[in-house]
Amino acid sequence: MKESLLDILCCPLDKNDLELEDAAYDEGEVIGGALVCTECGERYPIEDGIPNLLPPDMREETPA
Amino acid sequence: MGLDDRRDREPDVYQPAEDSALLARAACDRVGENELVLEVGTGSGFVAGRIADETDARVIASDVNPWAVRQARRTDVETVRADLVAPFRDGTFDAVVFNPPYLPTDPENEWDDWMERALSGGEDGRAVIDPFLETVDRVLAPDGVVYLLVSSLTGVDDVVGRAGEEGFSAVAIADESFPFETLTVLELLR
Repeated sequence: MKESLLDILCCPLDKNDLELEDAAYDEGEVIGGALVCTECGERYPIEDGIPNLLPPDMREETPA
Repeated sequence: MGLDDRRDREPDVYQPAEDSALLARAACDRVGENELVLEVGTGSGFVAGRIADETDARVIASDVNPWAVRQARRTDVETVRADLVAPFRDGTFDAVVFNPPYLPTDPENEWDDWMERALSGGEDGRAVIDPFLETVDRVLAPDGVVYLLVSSLTGVDDVVGRAGEEGFSAVAIADESFPFETLTVLELLR
């Protein structure tokens, strides 16, 4: 993901701002790390460069 | 990516079909310069990729399916794994585009796999359309619009009615008939 995506994203639970933590970069793109809600502290992982912003109760849901 | 280009297809991802092509064409004709566009439920990324290629809009594509966001990322659009519009800021998008799961489905056959989720709209065909209509308003910019694909199998009038309850007026901007359904692209305005 581009870092500028942070201007568009918010916490899916409480709609507050997200902060990038433990970022790993490749050719100017963020490919790893986490987005953390500045209000509730929920962590959203960045997987293969794609932020997973599903709420925690949907995150583990994987149909067969 | 063309309709016949299947090199990068993921087996658990809805691949572009007639509905995708109709929606892409309608959206490309209307998206203005420098707009910010979100495609919800992007699947293969075909529609988002077409809008990114044919307009100078910045296009964000989201899907709940991890395989879909991976395939969509290969079309060079920015991708986010998300539940509808939940993780996007208020008042952000000039246009939100959605080809929803819309086939009315027997509840006993549901949610078995990702492909089922890409197609099934529950018993009335609106299991995903309704929550989308209830939440999309929050992320639209002041003059923002929604381009929503609807099938006659779901019932265009029912969807227009639900959209009206959420404060949208609907205009049909494109349609195409097939032996078993007619596809319509609705433009929803506030």
